[in-house]
Amino acid sequence: MAITTSPQGESTKTQRGIKWLKRREQRTGFLFILPAFLIIFLFGLFPIGYSFYMSLFNWRVRRGSFVGLGHYFDIFGDLLGLLMFLAGIGLFYLAYWVWNKAFRSISAGGFIAKLLAAVVLIVGGYVLTSGWGRMIAAGNSDFLDSLIITLYYALGTVPAEIIIGMVLAYILFQNIKGKEIFRIIYFLPYIMPTVSTAVVFQIIFSSRETSIANMVLGVLGMDPLKWRFEPKAVTTLLGLDLSGFLAGPSLALITIVIFGIWVYVGYNAVIFLAGLGNVPQEIYEAAEIDGANKVHLFRFITMPLLSPVTFYLSLVAFIGTFKAFNHIYVLRVPSAQDSVITASIRIFDSFYKANMYGVATAQAIVLFLVILGLTFVQNKIMGERVFYG
Amino acid sequence: MANLSGSIPTHSVSHKGQAGRIIGRILIYLILIAGAVVAVFPFFWMMSTSLMTLGETINKQLLPKTPQFVNFVEAWSTAKFGKYFINSVLITAGTLIGLLITSILAGYAFGRIEFKGRNVIFSLFLATMMMPESVTWIPNFLMIRGAVVPLPGGSWLNTYWALTIPFIANAFSIFLLRQFFAQVPKDLWDAARIDGCDHMRFLVQIVLPISKAPIMTVLLFGFTASWNAFTWPLLVTTNDTWRPMMVGLWTFVREAGPQTHLLMAGAVISLIPILIIYFITQKQFTEGIATTGLKG
Repeated sequence: MAITTSPQGESTKTQRGIKWLKRREQRTGFLFILPAFLIIFLFGLFPIGYSFYMSLFNWRVRRGSFVGLGHYFDIFGDLLGLLMFLAGIGLFYLAYWVWNKAFRSISAGGFIAKLLAAVVLIVGGYVLTSGWGRMIAAGNSDFLDSLIITLYYALGTVPAEIIIGMVLAYILFQNIKGKEIFRIIYFLPYIMPTVSTAVVFQIIFSSRETSIANMVLGVLGMDPLKWRFEPKAVTTLLGLDLSGFLAGPSLALITIVIFGIWVYVGYNAVIFLAGLGNVPQEIYEAAEIDGANKVHLFRFITMPLLSPVTFYLSLVAFIGTFKAFNHIYVLRVPSAQDSVITASIRIFDSFYKANMYGVATAQAIVLFLVILGLTFVQNKIMGERVFYG
Repeated sequence: MANLSGSIPTHSVSHKGQAGRIIGRILIYLILIAGAVVAVFPFFWMMSTSLMTLGETINKQLLPKTPQFVNFVEAWSTAKFGKYFINSVLITAGTLIGLLITSILAGYAFGRIEFKGRNVIFSLFLATMMMPESVTWIPNFLMIRGAVVPLPGGSWLNTYWALTIPFIANAFSIFLLRQFFAQVPKDLWDAARIDGCDHMRFLVQIVLPISKAPIMTVLLFGFTASWNAFTWPLLVTTNDTWRPMMVGLWTFVREAGPQTHLLMAGAVISLIPILIIYFITQKQFTEGIATTGLKG
């Protein structure tokens, strides 16, 4: 501080002093981070590299023969299929870009853009699905299916928990008596141990006719269901005859989705509440004077001003669903078959049940890449739509 | 609001508006109460079932005729939830002590000491927050078994070390503390240094006393993460020497058959520490999570 402005004559001495000080700072800095570094390096960073290394071998408890990228080829099966799948995603993005940005300068450009975007979207969808079909046919369909299941799980939980959370927060933000109590209660499911609450859901959603879930159905005049024991798709239970991807999630997975929503709604509500606290009240007053009603206020003021929070929450929630493990592991039963096996459950089974460490690490790394890709896409699309006051 | 707009409202209009507002209010409270019921019902049912006889649990009654507090005694001793509970307490305590030491030191270094490689190492740390657990399961499992690097005592399966050591540092706590430490005014440090204070003394005597809030947040997070941990303990405990509460619940479901009342008593026991801490530090807990937001 003061040392740097000291007179010329002492410069060599002070420079040596600074050097000594800097070296000491360097040493102290290293010593301070050393304990954390050792642990995080050993159990957080090193495993990433070691996972990749393991994925290159036929590793079954002990290291076997070197297979290179063989496990990855086994997962994707058909290289052309993978390329087509990725090209399909690229076309989706192109369609999105055309819809929003292209032909802005021409009159009637909007119509052309929408038409073109629709065409690109259809082509993209075709390329993507046929690419995926090739991959499923030739690759590890168990693992690829588990990615679809994970996607169902994500699409089932994330929008619902965010919308319900936002509405609850909006209501709580009005002058509500006992607001604090409601907040404490809504937050409970989130902080409670997942395994303990999942064990309760196991029993509430059991297939017995006297289970709580079936009693509720009975009150509503409906027949009892098998809940988490039901591998059949919900659409099939409703009498629709769809197959493959279109059939949608099984009732067993929906049960897990219900659990996911139950856990996270309160968390989202609390964070939305914090966000609402930051919205300046004058805007609402001005809009009310201009004759806006409550729905208008919500739609045109609250929602846009909350969009950074919504963005953050949906990103965290989406990635969270791809990592989710504990409650799915606890809630799944053999009779639900593959219909509840998400990617991380599949990886765990390859590892723990089948002892195929090489295959499991390859699957884990693919899952990691998928999460990275999703984060990127979501950042790109939602980032452009977010309104930062 | 309406009165501010200038015109004096006629009697009938204001009456209608008031009725509408009351109905709206009632509707709002109904929604909120419905939400609260849904949020709380599983806990209520857990409590109620934990006090039932086995027969009552099978008949799916909503409330026990006479509360069977003896269930808790049985769950604690016969079903071994007492042992699992104490294991969990010891594991959580050890993890928290280690976590505090490593993250305070590292958070301070990243926030206040200039050293080469600081930013690189910090970003490496942050990168670990993005990783799905599934990537680290297998290498860490091999490491704990002593198959990657030799460990003192060979394999650490079923030891206290396997359950604590990997968790005594994490990027999130370091990040949280760094953010706070970096805001401590530089003048404080300059003044302390002139008085001959080194970093360690400055940290302990000046910085820590004013950092109670972020340290509390780290503790709360560390506590929930450690108490709720499931997958890792499941991997590294094959017997009940060090089996924690969550794994205990899971194995009870699988091994003890349909003894719902005992299972629920165990689940209630497993919630108690978190409930106590949540209600004591409620505000800080909620705000800490709202501002930082992470669930393990």
